Formats: sequence, structure tokens, C-alpha cells
Amino acid sequence: MVTRSIWRGGMVAAAAVVLALAVSSLRTTEDSSTRSARMADGRPNLNGTWQVMNTANWDLLAHTVRPAVSQPGVYENHPVLAAPVLALGSTGLVPAGPGVVEGNEIPYKPEAAAMKRENGEHWLDRDPEVRCYMPGVPRAMYMPYPFQITQSPGKIQMVFAYANASRTIFLEEAPRPPADKWMGHSVGHWEGNTLVVHVTDFNDRTWLSRSGDFHSDALDVVERFTPITPDALRYEVTLTDPNVYTHPWKMSMVLYRQLEDNAALMDFRCLEFVEETFLGHLRKNQLVKHWEGDTIVLDVTRRVPEGDKKYER
Amino acid sequence: MKIAARFLPVAALVAAATIIAGAQAKAPRTSWGTPDLQGVWNTNTFVPVERAPQYGTRAMMTEEEHAKALADLQERNKRPGRDSREVAGKPAIGTEKDVARAYNEFWFGDKPTKLSYRTSMVIDPPDGRIPPLTPEAAKRIADKREFLAALLQGTSGGHPGPISPRRAERSPDYNLDRINRADGPEDRGGPERCFGNGMPVVMGTGTFGGVMQLVQSSDSVSLYYDIGQGSGFAWVAPITNRPHLPKYVQLYRGDPIGRWEGDTLVVDVTNFSDETDFRGSRENLHLVMRFKRVDANTLSVQFTADDPTTWAKPWTAVQELEKADEKTTQILEPGCHEGNYGLMGMLINTRAAEKAFREGKGPDPATQDNATGGGDN
Repeated sequence: MVTRSIWRGGMVAAAAVVLALAVSSLRTTEDSSTRSARMADGRPNLNGTWQVMNTANWDLLAHTVRPAVSQPGVYENHPVLAAPVLALGSTGLVPAGPGVVEGNEIPYKPEAAAMKRENGEHWLDRDPEVRCYMPGVPRAMYMPYPFQITQSPGKIQMVFAYANASRTIFLEEAPRPPADKWMGHSVGHWEGNTLVVHVTDFNDRTWLSRSGDFHSDALDVVERFTPITPDALRYEVTLTDPNVYTHPWKMSMVLYRQLEDNAALMDFRCLEFVEETFLGHLRKNQLVKHWEGDTIVLDVTRRVPEGDKKYER
Repeated sequence: MKIAARFLPVAALVAAATIIAGAQAKAPRTSWGTPDLQGVWNTNTFVPVERAPQYGTRAMMTEEEHAKALADLQERNKRPGRDSREVAGKPAIGTEKDVARAYNEFWFGDKPTKLSYRTSMVIDPPDGRIPPLTPEAAKRIADKREFLAALLQGTSGGHPGPISPRRAERSPDYNLDRINRADGPEDRGGPERCFGNGMPVVMGTGTFGGVMQLVQSSDSVSLYYDIGQGSGFAWVAPITNRPHLPKYVQLYRGDPIGRWEGDTLVVDVTNFSDETDFRGSRENLHLVMRFKRVDANTLSVQFTADDPTTWAKPWTAVQELEKADEKTTQILEPGCHEGNYGLMGMLINTRAAEKAFREGKGPDPATQDNATGGGDN
């Protein structure tokens, strides 16, 4: 009897699988349920929207949770939240992460290491991300927003939600750009299952993280995209820049495909929102009443939320 | 034998027609079987958006009409344009208008040398004209025009009169125009704020006419429009059957969803924003775009624009883009926002001018024309 009921259950499960297959074959377009792991030309299928699940954009090295902007606390090495992120509470914190750099060390030259430290201390003043500028490569690949890959035999186009940034990876003809680019100039080729991309022609304006990691216009990037599963790519990137680093160094992380049925690349359109941050002091009638010249004076007058007061009674 | 005899002449006719049509190479297909829309596309063939009334409902010119229209175009190309040192036929060297012309003609690049036989980009309605505005839209546009004129009143670019009290008012719409005021960033036009071009792009000829790169896969087409002064943008249309986003979600370039209808890629675009303006249509715009590879060198891009709050009925326009040489026609990144010292400069300058005026050291900025760019409008 027991054997029989298991067998019957198996029949029901098998029928459900058949039904599911029939339904999925009715879909007329390719999506997560029907996408094949390979393209017609045999290459891995990279089409779709992708995103990392890490904290590299905050800090490339291993790090514990910390305020995005901090001030000394009561105890040494235990800083507390500072303006202008004080009112954000837990949303003003940098999430902890194990790091993405091989050997957990970026080989900065001594003067560059000092610059990185200073950049980190002046993050909000200096990070081009805060200004909604194009993020450059490789930073665009590990920002906490999705990007879409459109893959063809001759070109692979990547469009990033953040700031509508984009890059073309040329697999065939690749005319050299006439000037440096924020997103660099990408030329790729396949090595078996791995897409290898050489990126050059950078300017020196982009950063690598919110922790002040930077490069010069001599930056040379080699990226390797290798499928681990049909929906996950190992992303390895080697950075060479003799002006800033003593020797080439490497990051490694995983890109995940968005499998939601309603996955959509929606613009993270930030440029008009940063106007108040950077041009607010130039208004005839200022919206923020606490400008002193070009300095935002944040008194952070914030009422304790009603919910908290209830428990204080 | 009978069948062959009947069909052979037809086949011969078709072959002959193909040869007459310029022996164009066939439209290529992708390795996954769809028409291949890829390439770098632009146009140097002039087509007016709307049809001149003399052509009536005729979509194409006769040989004679074309020869005359081409001669007119070549004559127009000889005009000095922004190199002119005259305003309204009078010498104007050193005047505010002359100086405000800033860029000379050189920056506008090559002028179109080719003229299409097409009498207009608009193919529907049959008269080749964009349908009339709804009364609501006409009022909206008239209100804005009045506001723009009020802010120019009493300057070299506006009607004579005193400084208008309307200078203290907010623009009646979300401002995207160049208005004669710089109280804050919102007073400057969309291009000055680096908003970038919106959809649909109607490409022109010459340097500012635009270049489009299209990369295609089985589940999306990814377009990059390199157009205007750093107004370029990326636009991805997924080929999917997901529904559109909820209506209140407004995206600057809409929510595009693509599907194949035979050999035509149809992209349905909704969820536009009130921060873009396509000929008076804003968040209620509904676009249906049709991309079709006509032959190896031609991509037909057609759009139907519908907005019951703006036009009496939907209308359709088409552009036949030409395949560009990718070695010489490069796609450049926009970099407008990243280098936008102009917007900051405009605000700094205006605050300084206001201060100088308060101190009796300069004219009232409200009496200066900082909007018309010295154009002949």
C-alpha cells in the first residue's frame, strides 16, 4: 500500500512537470525559463540583466560594518554616524563584506596609498558617483544596480541602470576612439567559454569604490567573464596602472542573472537629483535655508519618530 | 510545363524590379533566424517632417519636383546662417544678438546634399501633416509661449515693454525650454541640464543630426543614439511578453517592450514622463515603433505617436536610415553632465549680475536676453 501511494504521488508529480513544460513551451519569447545556456554560435549566452551580490562598490577590501560618514565616538576605533548621514540611521551604514581583491591588498605606490586614504576621508566631496557621473570600468560592473547585456557575434552591448551609462565590447572591428572615455574602450574575444575583454583609453576621473580607490589615465583593465552556471558568471578583472600601483592586481566576484519574470532595466536617473546637492547654493531663492555660501549647514533637526516615543512612555 | 510558362514572366519581372531598385543586397538575417537590424545608422538625405501643402496626399515627388526641390536645397545651403554678421538684413557686428550667436556655422557640420523623393516623414494622416492639437494641448502650448515671451519682454530678443511681473512666476509646465531667467537649474532647458534626447529620436542630417548604433540579441535590442551636444543615450528594448509597468511609474524614455511581427520588430513604449516633450506630448505619449531592415544598407524606423490629450488622432512617421561605415562613423559617449560647467556658469553669472545691478555697477539682468541665443527667432 505504501509503495503504491508513493507511485501515485510520483505520477502526479510527473504530470505536473509535463504540464509545466507544456506551459513554458507556449511562451513565444526567450526568458529565464526557456533561455538556452548557449548561443547559436556555441558561445555562452550572456543575454539578460545581471547584478553582483556583494559590497565591492562600498569597499573592495574585507571590511566590517561602519558609518558611511563617521565622527569619533566615545571609544577609539568605534566611530559613530556623522552629518550628513546621521539622520539615516542604519541606512547610513556601509554593509560588511569579505572583500573582492585577491590577497586582500591593493598594491598602491606609497604616495598613491596616501591619496586613497585622503579620498576615503573626503568621500562625499570627491567620489564621482555622488555627482552621478559615469562610473567607469570595472566599477560599473559591481555597482548595486542591474545592467543589461545584449550579445551578438560582433558586439556585446552593456547598458547600466545607474546614470544610463553604457559600453560596447567590440568583438570584430574596433575603431580606436579619438579621445579618452569615462567608460573606456573595450575590445573582446572568446577563449573557449570565457569572454576576455581588454579595456583602455580611460580618463583619470573615475573611481573604483566609495572608499577612495582610484587610478590614473594609464589604467589598463583585462576582464574575464566565465559561466559557472547558466545564470552566474565568474567575473575576474586585472588592473594595471604603473602611475598608481606597484604591480598588476586582481579582483574576483560573481555576477548573477536576474530571474524574476518582471525583471526590467529601469533607469537610475540621478542627474537632476544631484543638482540640489551641487548647485543648490547658486539658486536665487534657496530651497535649503541652511546654506552659507557654498557650504551646506546641516543642523539635522530631526524629530524622534512617534513610534519610538510610544515605547519611551 | 504549363505552370512554369505562366510563372516565369512573373519571376522575370520581379528580378527586373530588383535590379531597377538599385540592385540592393538582401536584408541579412541573424544566426538565430530573425532579420538582422544591426549596424551604425544615420542619414544624409533630407526629408521634411511634414509635407508642403503643394504635394497634397502624394507621398513621393515627381522627377521634376525633385529636381526643383534639390536646387532649392542647394541654394539654401549657400546661406551664411550663423556666420552672417547681419541681423534682419542690417549690419550687426558686435551687437548683443551677433555675439550671442556664439558658435559659428563650422560647428554645425556638413549640410545635406541628398534629398529624398519622400515628400514628408509623416505618412499618416495621408496629407503628411501632424494632426491638429487638441484644444487642451493648444492652450498648454500657448500658455507656455506667453510665459516665454513675458520673460523676454523688454530685452533685445523680446517685445518692447516693461519688465514683466511674470518673472516671479513658476513655469506653467515642467520647464524644458531655454527661458530668459536663471533663478535655479530648473529655469535652464533640458539640454543645458544634460537631460539627453528623448524618444522617439527624429534624426537629422549633418553633425548634430545623430548616429545610432544598434546591437541585437534574441531577447533584446540595445540602441545607442549619439546625438546633439552630448545628448546621447542608451535605450534597451527587451523582447518579452511581460506587461508594462504600473502607469504611475514614469520613465524618462518610457517602458519599451518589443515583439516580432513577421520581419518587423515592433516596440510598444508607454510610461513616459512629464520631463520629456515630444512635440507637445509628455507623460501620456504612447509610441509604437517599427524597425525593419529593408535591405543591406537601409533600416526603416517608423513610429506611431498617440496621445489623446495632445493630438486629435494618432499619427505615423518613417525614416529610412542609411548604414554608416563603422570605421569613420564612431559612437562617442555623451559626457554632457560630467563636463557641465555651463549650467553652473549660467547660475554663477546670473547671481553675479544681480549683485552688480544691486550695487549700481551693471544693468538689470532681467533686461538682458540670455535665451534666444541670438537666433533669428
